[in-house]
Amino acid sequence: MGGNAADKPKLFENGKRIDGRKLDDLRDVKIVARVLNDADGSAYVEWGKNKILAGVYGPSECIPRHDQSLYRSVIKCRYNMAPFSGAEEHGRSGPNRRSKELSKVIREAFENVIISENFPKTQIEIFVEVLQSDGGTRCAALTAAAVALADAGIPMKDLINAVAVCKIDGKMAVDPGKEEDNFGESDMPIAFSPRTGDILLFQMDGLLTREELAEGVKLAKDASAKIRGMQVAAIQQVYSEPREERFLIIRTPGAEAGERNSPG
Amino acid sequence: MDTINEIKRDTLAALLAKGLRGDSRSMDEYRAVRIQASPLSNPDGSAMATIGRSQVMAGIKFDIATPFPDRPTEGVLSTSADLLPLASHLFETGPPSEEAIELARVVDRGVRSAAIIDLNSFFLEEGKVMALYIDIFILDHDGNLIDASALAAMQALLSCRMPKVEGGKIVRGEFVGKLPVKGKVVTCTFGKLGDRIFLDPSLDEEKGMDCRLTLATTSSHICAGQKGGWGAISERELLDLSELSMKKGNELRALLKE
Amino acid sequence: MAESKIVMPGELLSDKPERISYAYVDKGKTYSTVVGLFFEGKLVPLEGPYEPLPDDLIVGLITEVKFSGYSVDINTAYPAFLSSREIRERYNMGDTIFARITMIDEVRSTELGDAKKLPAGRLVKVSSVKIPRIIGKKNSMIDMLQSATGCQINAGRNGYVWIAGAGNATLVEKAIRTIEAQAHTHGLTDRVSAFLKSNKQ
Repeated sequence: MGGNAADKPKLFENGKRIDGRKLDDLRDVKIVARVLNDADGSAYVEWGKNKILAGVYGPSECIPRHDQSLYRSVIKCRYNMAPFSGAEEHGRSGPNRRSKELSKVIREAFENVIISENFPKTQIEIFVEVLQSDGGTRCAALTAAAVALADAGIPMKDLINAVAVCKIDGKMAVDPGKEEDNFGESDMPIAFSPRTGDILLFQMDGLLTREELAEGVKLAKDASAKIRGMQVAAIQQVYSEPREERFLIIRTPGAEAGERNSPG
Repeated sequence: MDTINEIKRDTLAALLAKGLRGDSRSMDEYRAVRIQASPLSNPDGSAMATIGRSQVMAGIKFDIATPFPDRPTEGVLSTSADLLPLASHLFETGPPSEEAIELARVVDRGVRSAAIIDLNSFFLEEGKVMALYIDIFILDHDGNLIDASALAAMQALLSCRMPKVEGGKIVRGEFVGKLPVKGKVVTCTFGKLGDRIFLDPSLDEEKGMDCRLTLATTSSHICAGQKGGWGAISERELLDLSELSMKKGNELRALLKE
Repeated sequence: MAESKIVMPGELLSDKPERISYAYVDKGKTYSTVVGLFFEGKLVPLEGPYEPLPDDLIVGLITEVKFSGYSVDINTAYPAFLSSREIRERYNMGDTIFARITMIDEVRSTELGDAKKLPAGRLVKVSSVKIPRIIGKKNSMIDMLQSATGCQINAGRNGYVWIAGAGNATLVEKAIRTIEAQAHTHGLTDRVSAFLKSNKQ
């Protein structure tokens, strides 16, 4: 939310959004699991122009000791953005207030589904790095983290994901892009447990009537089911196309994909 | 040196004594090297470099900055490195460790000494210069992060676009050609244990070795050097390695894309 | 191996409440907690941390010499201990042992026994759920690896594989990575056999 009212573009016209999508269209999403060698589990998500990498470690000894719980594994989560991830100026390395808040709400979503009682006195660490951001990074981050946790074999009640909805020119729309984020009238990211429909992450700003909120939640829920299909496909691919070597390959129009070069 | 490292040292020493390395490489052989140019579109330049299982991303962003008081017409070049916790169970969250700082400064030194970027061309007006920020993101650690980082940074520079500047401000998303880069800098890092020296140490080798020597080269000069670790190098070894790093550096240079 | 299905966390396994490992019951139905193979009522995880069971044979690394025994790294988040009373020789920090899990207590600490020291070699860490495939039915896979490479291989149920001896350890490691990636597939033994033959020097 924000943006100068004078610069505000028309966000919805002739049934199309600023990037040509319909109100219930998601951006292009690609998910690849198992892309890192050291992490116990990992996943890479491209969501619109967002490029997000998630890595998971654990269960491992909980350090420092005073964080330990005798009854469950302590879940730790760090959401972080690369200094070069935004479209604007060079950011600073390290956590800021926004990334600390997102780390917390993402962690709390996973605390609901990870069966942490199975591993008392340990910790499970979730790290998400935003390599490139384009609106909706927290949803893509949570979605990537869920796949990384499944890749690591951490037991969970469900494979969760998150999608945001927005209100643009009076209409509820799914998965806001950056301009819709900046100039829309409301932004509402939601994480679902697809099996039960339970909401595990909920944030919202702007102004919505009760009907608009209900409509938004329904749009998000339908989109969440589609995202889950992509998460499942990514995990299935680990087994249908097994690879001994793990590489992160980032697709960008015009970029050359990695070649095997060995100077010897 | 702590005892677990001593154990690994003995194992590594035994292998090296037979002229062998853990992964069957020869002493002057790199693992598989892979470079992706411009994987990202938000930064002004970006690249990914992979050596063996180590994976590194470099991103470059321009900003407007005030110059250093003692060099008022010179642009700013700043390099930083993040050893991300997802890259290795050995990395923790928190402020940059001495390892991260050393890595960034070594990569920076190579680029700066070789003067492949003309910092004087970054002058805009009194009190305003362009600042070029190179950020190295270590994504996966299996040893020799310095060479992988230097490759990623160099490729990011080669692929970097110059942003358009209007009225003393950068117009994001608009570019005026590419960043002019004169030459290509790469680093070659050697590990040493006893009197055995080996190129491109893997993480296993790093855990056992006594010290490392990194030499940055252009096609004609050696432009930066850094010894790390507690062991010692002889004069003879240093001279031999400076010659070898020119040769091996050229092989790495050949992999960079314009 | 007959057809089995790969299931996801949260996927329905049964409309009735069942006692299935790695599954949970909610409102009378049973769901998976992991990515796993579900076949004939049994759920086998495809990944996951090593969870010790009594009598498991494991490869461990001595990490600390204590007064009455040794702390051992067995690839879990919990302490493992080998009492001096269990063995006749003395071990040093950094030694590798092949041992049996004798007891697991209620706070997940493990005790080991029947230990023997392994000769100098190297460690390959794999996902512990793939170890049965690396060993093979009646040791078929591990025997094939040993004879083709001349190495002595100890595959611990905990995911630590120790490769010793004068043979081609790098080839063993490559073969193990292949088995790990393809553990869930058919015809793996033949493919590994072909791989070993083509790499014989």
